Amino acid sequence: MRSGLAESVVAAAFSRVGQRVLHLDRRSYYAANWASFTFNALLTWIQEHHEESQPEEVQDWSSLLEEGEELIYLLNRDSASITNLQVFCYASEEDEEEEAPDTTGEDQGGDDEVKETPETESTEGEEPTTAAGQSQSEPTRKKISFAHLVKEGRRFNIDLVSKLMYSRGSLVDLLIKSNVSRYAEFKNVTRILTYRGGKVEQVPCSRADVFASRQLSVVEKRKLMRFLTSCVEETEEQRAYNGRPYLEFLCDQQLGDNLQHFLLHSIAMVTEDTPTEEGLASTRHFLRSLGRYGNTPFLFPVYGLGEIPQCFCRMCAVFGGIYCLRHSVSCLLLDKDTNRCKAVIDSRGQRISCSHFVVEDGFIGADWKREATPTRFLSRAVLITDRSILPSDSDQQVSMVTVPPIAAGCPAVKMVELCPSTMTCMPGTYLVHLTCQSAGSAYHDLSPVVTRMFRTPESHDQESSPTLLWCLYFNMADGSGLEGEGHDLPNNVYLCSGPDAGLGHEHAVRQAQAIFQKILPDEEFCPPAPNPEDIVYDGENNSSSTPGDGETLEGEKEKEETLEGEVEKEEKVEGEVEKEEKMEGEVEKEE
Amino acid sequence: MHGRVKVKSTAQQEEEKRKEREKKLKIYVAARDACFSKRKEGICDDEALQITQQLLSSNPDFATLWNYRREILMHLETVRDEDEVQKIYQAELSFLESCLKVNPKSYGSWHHRGWVSTRLPRPDWARELGLCDRCLSLDDRNFHCWDYRRMVVKMSGVPVDQELAFTDRLIGSNFSNYSSWHYRSTLLPLLHPESPEPHSPCREPRRASSPPSPQTHSHRVCEEQLLKEYELVQNAFFTDPNDQSAWFYYRWLLGRAEREEMISCVYVSRDEERVAVAFSRPVNAQSVGLLLVLDGQPQRVEWRSVHPRFKHSPVWICDLPPGTISDVTNEHNLTVHWTEKHTHRDCALYTGDAHESWCRDSATDQELFRSELSVEKTSVLQSELQSCNQLQELEPLNKWCLLTIILLMRALDPLGYEKETLAHFQTLKEVDSMRSAYYSDLCSKFMIENTILKMEYAEVRVFSISDKNVTTLCHLDQLLLVTHINLSSNQLQRLPPQFAMLQCLEVLEADNNSIENLEGVFHLPKLEEVHLKNNKISTLADLQPLASCPKLKRLDLRGNPVTQTANIESELTELLPSVTDLQL
Repeated sequence: MRSGLAESVVAAAFSRVGQRVLHLDRRSYYAANWASFTFNALLTWIQEHHEESQPEEVQDWSSLLEEGEELIYLLNRDSASITNLQVFCYASEEDEEEEAPDTTGEDQGGDDEVKETPETESTEGEEPTTAAGQSQSEPTRKKISFAHLVKEGRRFNIDLVSKLMYSRGSLVDLLIKSNVSRYAEFKNVTRILTYRGGKVEQVPCSRADVFASRQLSVVEKRKLMRFLTSCVEETEEQRAYNGRPYLEFLCDQQLGDNLQHFLLHSIAMVTEDTPTEEGLASTRHFLRSLGRYGNTPFLFPVYGLGEIPQCFCRMCAVFGGIYCLRHSVSCLLLDKDTNRCKAVIDSRGQRISCSHFVVEDGFIGADWKREATPTRFLSRAVLITDRSILPSDSDQQVSMVTVPPIAAGCPAVKMVELCPSTMTCMPGTYLVHLTCQSAGSAYHDLSPVVTRMFRTPESHDQESSPTLLWCLYFNMADGSGLEGEGHDLPNNVYLCSGPDAGLGHEHAVRQAQAIFQKILPDEEFCPPAPNPEDIVYDGENNSSSTPGDGETLEGEKEKEETLEGEVEKEEKVEGEVEKEEKMEGEVEKEE
Repeated sequence: MHGRVKVKSTAQQEEEKRKEREKKLKIYVAARDACFSKRKEGICDDEALQITQQLLSSNPDFATLWNYRREILMHLETVRDEDEVQKIYQAELSFLESCLKVNPKSYGSWHHRGWVSTRLPRPDWARELGLCDRCLSLDDRNFHCWDYRRMVVKMSGVPVDQELAFTDRLIGSNFSNYSSWHYRSTLLPLLHPESPEPHSPCREPRRASSPPSPQTHSHRVCEEQLLKEYELVQNAFFTDPNDQSAWFYYRWLLGRAEREEMISCVYVSRDEERVAVAFSRPVNAQSVGLLLVLDGQPQRVEWRSVHPRFKHSPVWICDLPPGTISDVTNEHNLTVHWTEKHTHRDCALYTGDAHESWCRDSATDQELFRSELSVEKTSVLQSELQSCNQLQELEPLNKWCLLTIILLMRALDPLGYEKETLAHFQTLKEVDSMRSAYYSDLCSKFMIENTILKMEYAEVRVFSISDKNVTTLCHLDQLLLVTHINLSSNQLQRLPPQFAMLQCLEVLEADNNSIENLEGVFHLPKLEEVHLKNNKISTLADLQPLASCPKLKRLDLRGNPVTQTANIESELTELLPSVTDLQL
């Protein structure tokens, strides 16, 4: 139940080896908290979350109980994972013919769903500065209004989680192995940036970057290259630093401040007190992924990360899985003798028997969990801006930006800037995602970084920075704390966590694989899907086919067709995409 | 299991593939035979185009079919109007594109594309350039594509600066790319040529008298650009010092001087009535219009190289008619004209005791050995040396860096850096033992150059290079005037034919080497003493060349295998009757 990444991978894996899968999601969209929304859908999502605050009535299904059974009610508030939504709109309400000095109105995005905040009111005082700056630097550029964003809203695919795919990470391996990669296209992240000393700089990480870098002296280039090559293998020298901070290890390599910053914050992406072995491990992870598809270790799916769970759902459906959106399970039926979940009761009171039940942990009440681990949260911000934070020759850059703590006690922020060619934002805009571990509310954690790096009515002297058009802050539960065993539920109920704080997808893939292997230890996890021409259809090979086979195959075809409708959106726009890298093509090239 | 998708077994798939292949082969063979018979009959029709297209699209390396296709196309050119021809050729280009997708390194396809492009009535070069860019972005070392691209650039007149920017882009994305670096080296001299006269002062007078040939300048680059290039290439070799392509480009940037063509020395000996002429490069004196004028009278002489093996040689000799200069009371003026190069050199033989005379530029005058790296500005070289030393500190065992440092040191101050150079050579031989012989030879060459310089500074005619691990001899043309040579305690295996250039040699010391061959001790008119103790001369035949030296008196052969030969003494007396002092 719920179509997050882990649940979808599990569904695909079971369906692929011939298990019958019913996949439910109470939402009207796939991918749960992993979803991507058009601008308009995101506004609706925001609105829904404001309205859902009051708990729903719990229906009593005890009348459906049979002998020896017990009910376990599921929580019906998956929205609890999202809190502190705040929206700010800096774009003007309506289209304007000419650029007028009073363009930076404080209009609120969805009007009534936005909390009134003091920040939005203080804007008027700053107007002249911003407007003057803009008209000087970009005289020809037309300002984008809120109405324009809404009108072009379907060009946006705004992710709720912000992650990237490591080119040699477990998700990419899984996509390739299972042939699920054929359902999506990917773009390389083109550069790694970092925020340092009030400036955005490019981090040279590949050989070509180091060669072309203008910030590094030739000696630094050599030292960096040497460090990066020496990192790949574990040495005695490195082991001697186990348990001591990575920063100390870097200091002792005599790399200098520049390189130390790059290596710590942008390549290892760890903090100053991370132990050396951990720092080295993440440095290696970064380096291993480098150069497989391009000059950075990361890929990003065209049309947003929400595509990935959907691809696995599609795979599941192709092999006979059944999907029901807007449909959820309200309770489990427990067989007291065996301590197994025999069946579930859906929201309409229908009893559905099952042999295994996989659910996102948000539906499970705290009393079932062995340890009351305080739920951690991620702070997220989604910004729509008018230009890149580091303009370059190409305006189609996909950038990963590491922002080290801007002051002591502040969290390190990971930022991903997407350009229109990733099909996640409209031409002329950039979509920026910020993520960090919560210390307070998302606004509290991230707005200092936003005001420093972007031009908002609150910021000063930022004429060269991109202008913020619209932004959303929210907190999302961090799924990385969940351990599969930490609950007292029946032993055939399995929990998946929501999105975790990590940059990659390792956590969810590992979870899915663990669940699969617990249930079917002898089956292969997501074996390659056969080519369509190798599939034996009914009638082609009469001797071996049974009537049952024919039925399922037909049912499956139908399913595939309906799912096709779901991804229609993707195909319609395909014509506009010019230069995406097909992962399959890439893999062939590599071979 | 229920609901599981059925997939064909591997055996089934294999069988299907095999059948498919058989079917294909049948069709292929039939089409090929049809093509051949059509060609035999000289048919050039659309059907033939079609069949060849079918065949070539599956096998684009079938040269005969490409030829046939060209025959057909040329025939069609004569019978169709221009628009139709344009259309046919455009179709041909798109067909070729599909062939290149099958095999991007097909000789046949690329050649045919070049041919079609030049025959296209209205070529679209921009499109072709785009095709090359796409191809090179897939494989930046596809030399077929590089070749084709050069042709396109030439035909369509792409500006040089645009091409340079193209190499910038390619090098930026991957600097391990010889093709791009090399292309750069051909573009830079066109775009930023060296300013005309930035030469070292000591060579100036000569330059004035004989204007340099155009090619001397054609591939040098102006200093401003050169400095930028140094920076670029340093970025590459600091980033990855093990990548050769950048180092090779760097070597090119540092330059390679071309020596001016001239007569570097004229030597005349009264006793032998003989003239020896040394040139700055090997020439064939019989064909370059060499003219000897003695006291205003052109002489008919016969030029011969120092060894019959050489058709080209830097040293040529001739005998004057008997009696022309033998009278010590006469003063003679001699001029050798190199008519082909409009250059000449005079030499005066004065009265009195003068048995010989010469006129020449010494190696020091010409800065001969320094100019191997010909960047004129010492300061530039000095800063390059600093960068390389910096890199060497970080990468003490990098061979490219060491070798480059050696070359820079040689260009700056060969004698001053001799010690460091030797130490670096030692390291090089250790870190790159596969090429230790190469390094030994190179080191020998540099040591010989240094010894020549020392000799020139001391203004003596004695060349001594003992105990220096010399493995090979070179620059022997510079030793034309040497009377005494000491090569003892080295690792020489032979005295090569070039050794015969030592026309004034009287004493040869070469003890304690591994010499087994004396080919070069040949017709040395003044040679009197030969010391070959502890070498590896094993047969009498090896000593044969000595017989051509008329004045040989002392010969030391102790410690050679040949001394064990039966009747060695009498054999030697017979072979070398002039020798009076023989040590065995």
